[in-house]
This record gives sequence, C-alpha cells and structure tokens, in this order.
Amino acid sequence: MLTAKRSRSIKNLGHYTILIIFSFFVLVPILWMVSTAIKTEAETFSLPLRWIPEQPTFGAFKRILIEYPFGTQFKNSFINASLSTVITLICSTLAGYGITRFKFKGKKTFMSFLLVSQMFPAVMLLVPFYTILRRFDMINTHVGIVFVYISMALSFSTWMMTSFFNDIPRSLDEAATIDGCSKFQVFLKVIMPLTMPGMTSVAIYAFIMGWNDFLFASTLITHNHMKTLTVGIAEFSGQYNVLWNDLMAASIVASIPLIIMFTFFQKYFISGMTAGAVKQ
Amino acid sequence: MAIMMKQKRRLGAYVYIFPALLFMVGLRIYPLLRGLYISFYKTDLISRWDFIGFQNYIKVLVNKQFYTSILLTLKFTVFVVAGHFIIGFLLSHILNKDIKGITFFRAILILPWVIPESVIAMTFKWLLNPLYGLINQTLMSLSLISEPISWLGDGDFAFVAVVLACIWKGFPMIMVILLAGLQNINQDLYEAADIDGATGMKKFIYITLPSLKGVIYTALVLDIIWWFKHYTIVWVLTQGGPGSATSLISIDIYKRSFEYFEFGAGSSVAIVVFTIIFVIKYVMERGFKINVDS
Repeated sequence: MLTAKRSRSIKNLGHYTILIIFSFFVLVPILWMVSTAIKTEAETFSLPLRWIPEQPTFGAFKRILIEYPFGTQFKNSFINASLSTVITLICSTLAGYGITRFKFKGKKTFMSFLLVSQMFPAVMLLVPFYTILRRFDMINTHVGIVFVYISMALSFSTWMMTSFFNDIPRSLDEAATIDGCSKFQVFLKVIMPLTMPGMTSVAIYAFIMGWNDFLFASTLITHNHMKTLTVGIAEFSGQYNVLWNDLMAASIVASIPLIIMFTFFQKYFISGMTAGAVKQ
Repeated sequence: MAIMMKQKRRLGAYVYIFPALLFMVGLRIYPLLRGLYISFYKTDLISRWDFIGFQNYIKVLVNKQFYTSILLTLKFTVFVVAGHFIIGFLLSHILNKDIKGITFFRAILILPWVIPESVIAMTFKWLLNPLYGLINQTLMSLSLISEPISWLGDGDFAFVAVVLACIWKGFPMIMVILLAGLQNINQDLYEAADIDGATGMKKFIYITLPSLKGVIYTALVLDIIWWFKHYTIVWVLTQGGPGSATSLISIDIYKRSFEYFEFGAGSSVAIVVFTIIFVIKYVMERGFKINVDS
C-alpha cells in the first residue's frame, strides 16, 4: 500500500515537472513582452538584459495611445470582429437548428460542403475577394472586411452549433409543439436558450477569428484610418529603429481583450471547439 | 394534406438555412469559381484580361521553384504538426489526470492559442534579435554559443525559428481536442480492465488509443490543413526569406499576386494547393478508415 502511494507521488512529480517545463516555455515570451513594455527605450537596448527593469514605466502604454494610431486601430478591430461575430452567430444558430430539426434535400451536400470549404487556402480567396470587394466599392470598408470574416468563421461555427443542437433531445421540441408553440417559437423560446453555451463558444470563436486576422486586413485595407490592430503591429517598424518597448506595449493591448474573454468563457469555448471537432 | 405538411417542413428548413447558405454561396463558392476563372487569364485585374487557357498551370507546373516551395511547405507542415501532436498528446494525458492545480496549468498552456499571430510573430522577432534578443543572450550566458546567431538572417536557422514559433502557437489546439476526446471515453471500460488485471500500458493500447482514433484523425486533419496553408507568422517573421528559405506556398501565392501582379499565375497555384490539400485529406481518411476496419 505504502509503495503504491509512493509510486503514485513519484508519478505525480513527473507530471508536475512536465507541466512546469511547458508552462515555462509558454510564459517566457509573454513575460518578456511585459518586461519589455515597461522598460525605457534605452533599457531595451542595454546589456546585460534584465527581467525586472531598473526604472519601470508605463510610458510606452501612454505613447501608443497618444502618439500612434493604436486607438483607431483598436476601434477598427473591435468593430470588424464584433459585427462579424453577431452575423456569424445568427446565421450559424439558425442553420444549426435547421440542419438538426428538418429533413431536406441537399442536407448531406451542405454539411460536407461546410467541411470542404475549410480546405480553401485563405490566400486562395484573397484575389477573388479583392476583385469582388473592389467591384462593389467595399475595399477599405468595415462591411467589406466583415463579409470576409463571416465567410472564414461560418462553416466551423455551423458545425459547432449542429453538434450542440444534436445534444438537445427531440422530445423537448415535441412537447413544446403539443403545448401549442409554432415551430419558430419552439426554436426561439425553448431550444435556443438551451444552446447558450454553444452560442457563447461560437461567439468567442468568431470574435477570435476576426480579431486575429492579419492576411485579409493587410490586403483589403489600404487606408490608414481603416487599418486594424494586428496589421498596425506587424507594420510597426520605424524607418531606422523599432521601438520594442512601444511595440510590446501595443502587442499586450492587442492580446488583452482575447485573454480576458477567454479567462471568463474558457469552459464554453473549449467545449464548443471540441464539440465541433470531436463529434464530426 | 400529408404531402403539404411535408413540403411545408422542407420549406421551413430552407428558411433556417438560407442566411448561412447565402453567405456560403456568395463568399465561398462564388470566390472559388472566380479564382478558378482568373487562373485561366493573364491579367492585372484592371485593364488587361487575356484568356490563355491552361498556360498559367503549365508555367507553374514546369517551374522548379514551385516544387521547391511545395516540398518546403510539406516539410514545414510535418515538423509543425508533429511538434503540435507530440506536445499536445503528452500534455492532454497529464491534464486529464486528477492532480492538484490542473486548472491553473491548463489556463497557462492554452494562452498561445488566443494571442494574435502577428503579435506572436513580432514577439519572436524580438526574442530572436541577434544582439538584444533574449534567446541569444540566454544561450551565450549558458556558454552554449560563443557569438550571437543571426536567427532570421541565415536560411537554416530561419526555418528552425519559424517552425518553433508555429509549434508554440498551435499546440494548444491539439492538446484541447485530445483532452476532450479523453474525457469522452467511458470510464467503465477502464474499471473492467482493472478487474481483468490489465496494466497501464495495456489499457492505453487496447482502450485509450482505439477510443481516440476518430479524435486523433480530426485533430490531425484540421491541423495539417490549417498549417499547410499558413501565412501570417512566417510572413511577418521572414517574408519568406532569407532568399527563399521560408517561402511557403501561401507566401509564394501572395507574392505572385500582390508583388509581381501575376494574378492569374497566383490563382493557378492556389487551385493546385487546394487540390493537394483535398488529396491529403482523402488519403488520411482512407488510411484511418482502413485501420478502423482491420
């Protein structure tokens, strides 16, 4: 008995060691980001490197708000990501319900098309999107880029919603119908509220897709006042020198919304992502 | 009456699916066909539209650079996905254990997933800075290297650097999907095996692995598709350089289109890449199914 206990604690020690090693590798770049962001410019370029700055300062955070267009870029990212999230959520929820509750022609084709459409290389859609948006005069508009983000998030979101609706017993629909609900009332008042966790995870997924995008925003947006945060960060190399403290401050600001959102909704997001992936 | 009901039900379905379908057709099928169309033209997208049939494809397929780029992308994908899988597999098994502080570790280990790719690329650029980068400084203080390495200035090092950055970014997805798969396995199976006196290894081979097969397949397919067409981290870190050391196929397509303005050629490469991804998925599906049967 004692040896079993001891061997288990040795095993646990091994597990903790592995967890600590990998957490270390995950945390080093992130903490270095923070450390650089609170350094003065002189200290970012002084050797030996220090983890704790000699004179910690929030100057970089102030500068990115005042001297750089990060405020505007943050706003643009937020508008694009939120708008595309709302529309993706509406479309995928409706579609998920339709797919699981009705029999109809082309259902299988539709489902497998959702899967196949994941395989298009994003760059492959770049040129077509570019020509289409130009024709409709939507280059450099929120609406144009929002359409693109919807198309990126919609197929997997629909898969996710389908697996959530599948988990809700059909007998609930029937009971509500017997109580006199119309089909749409059943959807809106009975079934949809039960898929709140699914909708939360789709919302987070769509928001992350839009917020993180670099490829489309960097090609389909050319006006400075429409640029997004991820593009702003990638283009942040001055003509002579990169001010790494300012850049790292901007990087932190660009990551914080997602980290906060993720911390609060982690459970939903993970269950949604994996439901979509695991139950395929 | 029955027929009318049935028809009404069908129509109902289309009402729910219509918005999604509209977006999929408008934003996926149409652009795809548009890309296919452009691939048959020599065009600057504005004034010049010369139909040249399959010439773009022929030009691409006889060009050695195309194969170099595809091979590089395959190599990149194999290393990155293998890295994700090994780390993700190991960590998912530990995170599935009932030990203290597991939520804390899970929260940390998931972080790379939510940090934007361009932020990750810039952070790694800073870490890899030859003079003031943390990586060179650490390696030097440990006497592992005697002088700074120009990570992104040398072809071999640049490839290693982008692979490591992409492994860092992507392992949490595999980890989380496999963890969900593990938690879905029926615990009764393990209890039954315990009664039969099965060892840990046997339980792993005869219960865990077979139960995870579908999940492993999905995780691998998603990850391979995702990283085969990867663009952002590599573009921001190296723009495909030095030379063409990290010029993945996505970067090649981007450059053909938006730097050399050969939109037709760029589109034809994109169509070829789509076909390759399709074949990879088909082969994997077959491979896994055959295993399931036997």
